[in-house]
Amino acid sequence: MSRDEIYAKVRIVLMDALSVDEQDVTPQATLREDLGAESIDFLDIVFRLEKEFGIKIPRGELFPENLVNDPQYVQAGRVTPAGLAELKKRMPHSDFSLLEGDPQVNNVQSLFTVDAIVNYIAGKVA
Amino acid sequence: MRWLWIDKFVEFVPGQRAVATKNVSLAEEHLHDLYPDFPIVPHSLVIEGFAQTAGILVGQTRQFAEKVILAKISRATFHRLARPGDTLSFHAEIRQVSEQGATCGGMVQVGDQPLADIELMFSHVDQNMAGVRFPAHNFVFDGAMLQLVQSRCSVDIPLTPTKPA
Amino acid sequence: MKFNLLDHIECLEPQRLVGVKQVTLAEEYLGDHFPSFPVLPGVLMLEALVQAAGWLMHHRRGFACSMAVLKEARNVKYGQFVPPGSRLRLEVQWLADTAGGASFKGVGTVGDAQAVTGRLELAYFNLADHDAALAPADQRLLEHTRRRWALIAPAQVSPSL
Repeated sequence: MSRDEIYAKVRIVLMDALSVDEQDVTPQATLREDLGAESIDFLDIVFRLEKEFGIKIPRGELFPENLVNDPQYVQAGRVTPAGLAELKKRMPHSDFSLLEGDPQVNNVQSLFTVDAIVNYIAGKVA
Repeated sequence: MRWLWIDKFVEFVPGQRAVATKNVSLAEEHLHDLYPDFPIVPHSLVIEGFAQTAGILVGQTRQFAEKVILAKISRATFHRLARPGDTLSFHAEIRQVSEQGATCGGMVQVGDQPLADIELMFSHVDQNMAGVRFPAHNFVFDGAMLQLVQSRCSVDIPLTPTKPA
Repeated sequence: MKFNLLDHIECLEPQRLVGVKQVTLAEEYLGDHFPSFPVLPGVLMLEALVQAAGWLMHHRRGFACSMAVLKEARNVKYGQFVPPGSRLRLEVQWLADTAGGASFKGVGTVGDAQAVTGRLELAYFNLADHDAALAPADQRLLEHTRRRWALIAPAQVSPSL
């Protein structure tokens, strides 16, 4: 499956799960801020991707959990170096440029983009 | 008003699907509030009947140990109105279930006519709602609810968990 | 229990309505939902949004029709438990007219926390549209609806004793 084909299917999954329009689903769009996703939506997206691509997504592999609650990883509203390292390990499919430039905890959501999902799926179906 | 929107289960395939029914009666007080000259079943309560059917189906997959809470109604589409004297049947299937929650879908009939198509999601709140306060014990499936379900079924609902097919 | 899920309308504009639903332990269904942890059922948050949208519909159309019924709910999501003692603020925004009614966006909040969001489509019609013999029922229903409106419409006077 080509990356374009993966992107097209991921886009439909996100449109259905989040009730957003096609033009809203851009590669850089963040799930929470740009597309309005909330916690239940992340589970909905995982279920729909599993069904669409015929894959199993182990819990926490696409969308790691409890990142910002761990005092080792987040202190005083900022992601620690240990936190950044752990995030990179758990999310090799994400783009860290914004978070590395400004490691505020609010920027963690920048890791969860449409592109990150496409990268993850591409790694699974290759 | 009780908060029980199904009367009994008529079919229960553990981990897969269930059918429950509900009689609609003029004796139900709330039917007389909004449209007294033309009482209809509010569509939000049709969704609740479906959610109770599906929620028990999902709860049973984990021996009613999880707190199964309605988290999302992806879509509920209505085709007609239901009235006193009608019998509703809620046909629910588990689409997907995991330790975090479940997606269920299906339809509601009034008699043999389609009333609604519904897709919704439950969250297992212990797994999912960090930061929201709620009791440690299972307030969803406490003794009274399970007793009611068991005592008014024409089918057995097993209490031991069954893995979805 | 009365199936009135909106207690008061705070703000009424051509395309937007803001109302309030107070949650109180006196509401009987809370005894079952749940016996040891009473909270407003999610579908009643939806019903509150449906009724709010219904009032906005009546306001926009001058009470032209007797029935305002949920035709479709989409992407309704729940974020918080709403216990007794809470004041649920409901805001609905008209989005567009449809063939048989209109579509709306709705949000329910308790303080700063979002309890419910969703999209609704209402069907707005008279019973006589389907059966001419029901025209008198439409009239009686509209009188009933206007009396209910008078209970919750903005700018209620609270007389002092």
